[in-house]
Amino acid sequence: MAALEVRGLRKQFGGVVALNGIDLDIDTDRVVGIVGPNGSGKTTLFNVVAGVHPATGGTVRWQGQDITNIGAHRIARKRLVRTFQQAMSFPGLTVDENVRIAWEQGRRDDSRWASPGMILDFVGLAPLGRAIAGSLPFGSLRRLGLAVALGVSPELLLLDEPGAGLNDSEAQAFAAVIAQLPPQGIGVCLIDHDMDMMADLCDRLVVLDFGTKIAEGPPGEVLSDPKVREVYLGPDKKAAAS
Amino acid sequence: MPMIDQSAGKTGGAPEGVRPRDRLALLTADNAAVPLPAGVQAITAILLAGLLIALPWLGLGYRFLSIAITTLYTAIGLYGLGLQFGQAGIMSVGHAALMGVGAYASAILSVQLGLGFWTSLPFAMALSAIVGGVIGLPTLRVGGQHYIIITFCFCALFVIVLTNGGTFTGSATGLDVGSVTPLPGINFDKLSNNYYLVLAALFLALAATYLIGISRYGRTLRAIRENEQLARSVGINVDLHKLGVLMVSGLFAGLAGVLQLYYLRHISPTLFGAFPSLYLALMVMLGGARYLYGPLIGAIIVNFLPEVLNLEPVDARIAYGICLLLVILLLPGGVGAGIKNIYLAIRGGLETQGGGSNGRA
Ligand SMILES: Nc1ncnc2c1ncn2[C@@H]1O[C@H](COP(=O)(O)OP(=O)(O)O)[C@@H](O)[C@H]1O
Ligand SMILES: [Mg+2]
Repeated sequence: MAALEVRGLRKQFGGVVALNGIDLDIDTDRVVGIVGPNGSGKTTLFNVVAGVHPATGGTVRWQGQDITNIGAHRIARKRLVRTFQQAMSFPGLTVDENVRIAWEQGRRDDSRWASPGMILDFVGLAPLGRAIAGSLPFGSLRRLGLAVALGVSPELLLLDEPGAGLNDSEAQAFAAVIAQLPPQGIGVCLIDHDMDMMADLCDRLVVLDFGTKIAEGPPGEVLSDPKVREVYLGPDKKAAAS
Repeated sequence: MPMIDQSAGKTGGAPEGVRPRDRLALLTADNAAVPLPAGVQAITAILLAGLLIALPWLGLGYRFLSIAITTLYTAIGLYGLGLQFGQAGIMSVGHAALMGVGAYASAILSVQLGLGFWTSLPFAMALSAIVGGVIGLPTLRVGGQHYIIITFCFCALFVIVLTNGGTFTGSATGLDVGSVTPLPGINFDKLSNNYYLVLAALFLALAATYLIGISRYGRTLRAIRENEQLARSVGINVDLHKLGVLMVSGLFAGLAGVLQLYYLRHISPTLFGAFPSLYLALMVMLGGARYLYGPLIGAIIVNFLPEVLNLEPVDARIAYGICLLLVILLLPGGVGAGIKNIYLAIRGGLETQGGGSNGRA
């Protein structure tokens, strides 16, 4: 049984079907990548799984419990934690306080981090602890977003385009940090558009298109799948289909 | 280790080597999140406490002391408002009504059941807390603007209910109470003793505000103020905490209301209507809701300004308006922010010149 089991998940915004019956199993010992064109429902999948939006149909089970629509904060307390596509922080507070807030919420006797400072060290923000989060350069803000999520001591981390807006070297550094997570018992489910990085980093890729899972498997296999190539390389065909 | 940032962001507070043209920006910045050294905090607290304790002995006269008492119980109510607005980001424009709930609860308990100051105080505070929570209940999910309107409506409704409450609320004339039940050797009919009673309550309010500010609870409230969605996603029960802070704010309001009642010995509905409520909002913004001494500073300015400048009530209102405009334009964080920024600027300047840091401006 996988740690996270998504079954027949549907989400409709008025007339827009953002998720059209998604089935997904994710374990906490690896990196699973989710790819797909813009508007294919990747962020919505995270939002519904993490309880930001209620599901229209289907179920989400986490560690054997049904967590569908139980509310975002309860899901986070169960150590299923997500980051946001738009880099988010508590902008008026210091970097230290940002991470401490999350760390205090996720604190348990067996917490991975003995102090918020350890998390800042891990993501490389330690020298900026006293900076106001809202004044951080974008790259650091991205890292702060990761640090805040890690503060909750997640067992599975849903990362929504953590590399978006970063330059190449920053993105590479970020990927290096993400690769360190599964060996420490933090599963990662990652959305990103950089196919080379995703192929490198992920043990498994899931491809969404129009709210439907069209392919799933090892990156090499998935990226050579004709259906996937059509979605990514045949915009004219796609335009004709829609 | 991965990811060492080369382009380190600017840290909050006073950056090193401030150029003159950045001075204004420095003054207007909101540095509430920048921690002050423990020594500076302690010295400020001791000086302030000493001054407030010494006040009745400075020979400033009966009228001055009366205004001081008004200032202090108002400040206690403002500390509740400072908590909900400054920490959790929830502004109310009906806060005087919440003080009124405490004041009237205590007065009615006195008139109907003969309960004195000390026995009615816990009931009055609890009732204010409950009412504070109930007002917030319908607006938890829809956000701040709705809450502001609800508080205003509550305030108007409260006055109407009091005015039409017959002998139970004393209608438009209001209710009278006796004096505070004396403690052994302390008779609160003496103005300076009444001052010390209110001052003791203010110290409690300040201590509670300080402790909440540095606690996990305070950080949780600030997280909600700064980013509700992110707060939820790290596991914070946002609705529950909003409700909680409104109730804590109600406790402060109840305490302030009862102190007001037993200082004035007579209350009537107009004390708790729209105008007093707006003044409370004005004071907390003037002083700086996010700063430990902000609410007290706001209460001092608004209560003493007409006295110092010898203003008629109408002129005073104009003066308040001008003050508020100036603060909004120049000191969005309030006068408390300005004082802290001056301190940070001086410290920054001294440090860059190789000098040590000194006390507060
Ligand atoms: N909050 C929302 N309200 C209305 N429509 C939404 C909302 N969020 C997403 N959608 C719609 O759902 C679809 C999927 O969006 P999204 O999940 O953001 O895609 P992706 O992250 O894959 O780019 C899009 O058509 C988008 O317009
Ligand atoms: Mg997206």
